[in-house]
Amino acid sequence: MSYQEKRTLFTIISGLFILVSYGLYTYGRIQSGLNAFEDLKFWTNSMLMFIGLGIVITIIGQIVFHILIAISIAIKEKMKDQSTSEAHIEKTIQSEMVSDEMDKLIEMKSIQISFFFAGMGFVAGLILMAFDYSVVIMLNLLFVSFSLGSILEGIAQFVYYRKGLR
Amino acid sequence: MKGIKITNNIRKLRFFNNEMTQQQLAEKVGASRQTIVAVEAEKYTPSLELAFKIAQVFNVEIGEVFMCEIQDSKK
Repeated sequence: MSYQEKRTLFTIISGLFILVSYGLYTYGRIQSGLNAFEDLKFWTNSMLMFIGLGIVITIIGQIVFHILIAISIAIKEKMKDQSTSEAHIEKTIQSEMVSDEMDKLIEMKSIQISFFFAGMGFVAGLILMAFDYSVVIMLNLLFVSFSLGSILEGIAQFVYYRKGLR
Repeated sequence: MKGIKITNNIRKLRFFNNEMTQQQLAEKVGASRQTIVAVEAEKYTPSLELAFKIAQVFNVEIGEVFMCEIQDSKK
């Protein structure tokens, strides 16, 4: 599995983790009676908190992931040849993590899927509002569609890396 | 409507260039090894720029690296 595929898998897993955590957190709070379902402030605070958490997890995760991959490449290179120089290891790490035209194309194609899904969520939210559903439902639909869009983007990237672009 | 399929000779050219590795080729053209693997396996059609760079590495015309096959898309 290439560096890009591993990175994409990490994005999918962290996205799923955030979405599931959000679901469990809000469900727990509502079920235990700590917050009312119609409490808009609770929902907006929860969403902001999990958006922030998602950003932090992504940044820290990417840094840790980058370091771990660099270490694993260095170990592999050392195991292949004990006399490998530091410069050679550094060059191998850089070449493994290089981003080129195929990465950019895959990213663009995957973002299309993400935007489409998020857009559909927004329209679905508007339709629900038009049918007098609660604002809470619309907010959650937006949050979930953006989150799922991001996860789908990761899945699409992974599939493109595996199957290729023709 | 006829479609085209881009095929390539990269594996053969690497072999005739002292069994150049995919990693070495990737470094020479400024792409990732993943991209070279995908191009060689015909899973990705490179940009003209990358295609010319690959041909330059092997010191051959672009037509010797990449070929196109006309295909009938009604299958």
